[in-house]
Amino acid sequence: MENISTLQSERITRELMPQKFGKRGMIWTGALIIICLIGLYAYYRQLDKGLVVTNMRDYVSWGIYISNFVFFVAISLVGSLITAIFRLANIHWSTPLTRIAEIIAVSAIACASVIIIVDMGRPERLVNLFSHGRLQSPITWDVIVIGTYFFISLLLLYIPLLPDLKILNEQKNKGPKWMSKVYRFFGFFWKGTKEQWKISNKSVVILSIMIIPVAFCIHTVTSWLFATTYRPGWDSTNFGAYFVSGAFLVGSGAVVIAMYVFRRYYKLEKYITEKHFDKMGKAVVLLAFLYLYFNVNEYLVPAFKMKKPEEAHLTNLFAGEFATMFWFAILVGMVIPVLIMITKKGRKPLPMFIAAIMVVVGAWFKRYLIVTPTLLHPFLPMQEVPESYKHYFPSWEEWAIAMGSLAGALLIITFFVRLFPIIPIQETITEEHEKAITENK
Amino acid sequence: MKKLLLKINSGKLLLTILLSVLCTVYTAAQDDSTAVKEEEPEATEIVKLSYHSSNNSIQYLLLKSIIKKGKEQTPVKNKAYTIYLDSAADATKVADVKTDADGKAKTFLPPSLKQAWDASAQHIFIVKAGDEEVISDYSITKSKITIDTATTDGIRNINITIQKQEGSEWLPAADVEMKIGIQRLGGILTAGEEETYTTDSSGTVSVAVKNDSLPGDDKGNIILAVKVDDNETYGNLLVQQAAAWGVKTTTDNNFFEQRTLWSTRFRTPLWLLFLAYTIVLSVWGTLIYLVFQLFKIKKLGKQAAH
Repeated sequence: MENISTLQSERITRELMPQKFGKRGMIWTGALIIICLIGLYAYYRQLDKGLVVTNMRDYVSWGIYISNFVFFVAISLVGSLITAIFRLANIHWSTPLTRIAEIIAVSAIACASVIIIVDMGRPERLVNLFSHGRLQSPITWDVIVIGTYFFISLLLLYIPLLPDLKILNEQKNKGPKWMSKVYRFFGFFWKGTKEQWKISNKSVVILSIMIIPVAFCIHTVTSWLFATTYRPGWDSTNFGAYFVSGAFLVGSGAVVIAMYVFRRYYKLEKYITEKHFDKMGKAVVLLAFLYLYFNVNEYLVPAFKMKKPEEAHLTNLFAGEFATMFWFAILVGMVIPVLIMITKKGRKPLPMFIAAIMVVVGAWFKRYLIVTPTLLHPFLPMQEVPESYKHYFPSWEEWAIAMGSLAGALLIITFFVRLFPIIPIQETITEEHEKAITENK
Repeated sequence: MKKLLLKINSGKLLLTILLSVLCTVYTAAQDDSTAVKEEEPEATEIVKLSYHSSNNSIQYLLLKSIIKKGKEQTPVKNKAYTIYLDSAADATKVADVKTDADGKAKTFLPPSLKQAWDASAQHIFIVKAGDEEVISDYSITKSKITIDTATTDGIRNINITIQKQEGSEWLPAADVEMKIGIQRLGGILTAGEEETYTTDSSGTVSVAVKNDSLPGDDKGNIILAVKVDDNETYGNLLVQQAAAWGVKTTTDNNFFEQRTLWSTRFRTPLWLLFLAYTIVLSVWGTLIYLVFQLFKIKKLGKQAAH
């Protein structure tokens, strides 16, 4: 029995060990690095010439950068859903997905912080936020809560990684020397003693409890950046819940994409099974319905009243300049994925993957629609403004920086997967052993 | 036969329409050709200089340069001019100036020209753009304004005297038009019934102040102002003087001193401070505790290794 267990453990370890980049991996990484470099060059131009290289003007002062920031913050929320909510609810099927969710959260929140500095135009003025910040401002709350969420996510990624680092340390001859040094640096002290396990488990439970309110805060506060200003489209008491529900949806969509890619690329069919896709599919459908519900609230109620300032904004969304994008975000981002995933066949890996891409792309455009059209309809319009104030389409520098930040987030995930096992090895072994014991009984 | 007549009539109709169209096109073409022939208005550069004296003590010059083309006026930006006093020589140079985005430039009379300035009651300013003399005859006569206040039978009066210099003497300046009033944020509020007043042969004018309840500063001071605009002989003059004729006002800072959501960072509401610090300290306190737990794990690992 023990021999079988050892053999099983070895097999699991072998199958879940981080793997070298193949040809496709190299192309993927190279492409991401190139996109990041183009983004860096565009940022250099922005630093050199100022924010004038963007197409943001006096009306639209929050453009694609802030849309991207909101998108990143939204996607990062999935860490709390899969790691914390599912863990505390004793949902075991999500174990192989915890690390995927956490690395998505960490990379997204890191890039959210970067993009907000990019939007400032003068990065050295970040220090003013701390030296002159007002505690009354939601922007200060956002800085505090983003920092806190980032730190909690890092701990939630690191502490459960410790047992796997021990396994990786034991396999030191199988990889390059620098990787062994990294494993040693981060996890040489993990011996798997009873006391260590006790502290580690307790810490993870505390973090899981803590991350839920912090996650709700991070996106609620982000929504308040908009909702606390008196503008058509933002002046809503619904915004916190609307943002949080949308965040859970896009985050789950991102996890599904990652599940499909890692499963296919690293041959993890035994660990990320069709059952996982089925369960995640049901979760995504539930979250999409929830988000649709808040969307109905967000648009139907003001549209019913049609207050004069809201009218221009809503007409622009429903049938005007942004109508194509708006209906794309609603249909492709929510309705069609629900129609795909609501059926059992639709919850198979490939249809789920396609639907999840729809969710994420739709969610990106949804954030753009939340930020930009409102800014084009100020309550006190200026007289005889230049034509460039009345319309907004990002400049190539803005696109390059935004795409660079998205590539940056993917690059963090890619390098993490190259270094560390994306599915927790130790937890999988323990679960397999427990399953075997139950079956033998 | 009828058919033939109908054909002829139709032909006439077509011919009439064709001729009308040709006539219209011809007339339009003629109109166009005359429009082309019309000469475009010539662009001319206009440089204006004005002398200003503030409170009889600070003298400065303002230069404005524009390009005039028809009815259109465009400011001349970044153009260099040299201003001289009395003669275009290096010794009497007032300043080298450069116009700003509005085509304007400003300069004060330098201390080095004090002697030359004091030597005469009349002066000429000369402006050169490179070697070209653009203004050669802008002359001013030195003058001064005195404000005197008096209250007779409860009526407050402002008595103004304007004097001009002739040789070494100060003589009354008659027929000088000016605004007399109280300086407010938006401009000068006229003190009496008239918009402007003119000095008599003795160089004086007296105005009874009609408004006696204007808000002043915390001591009740208001600023009386006398302004002469663009006078051909004396230029632009402005003199201001405080008078305790206003109503004392105290600034109510109470609104800004409250602890509110819209006040400065040092006036955060106490409930917000308490709430924010409690949340931040409890969350970060727990996180620091967890970091210590990590160190504990590390220590336990080292002990187990031994």
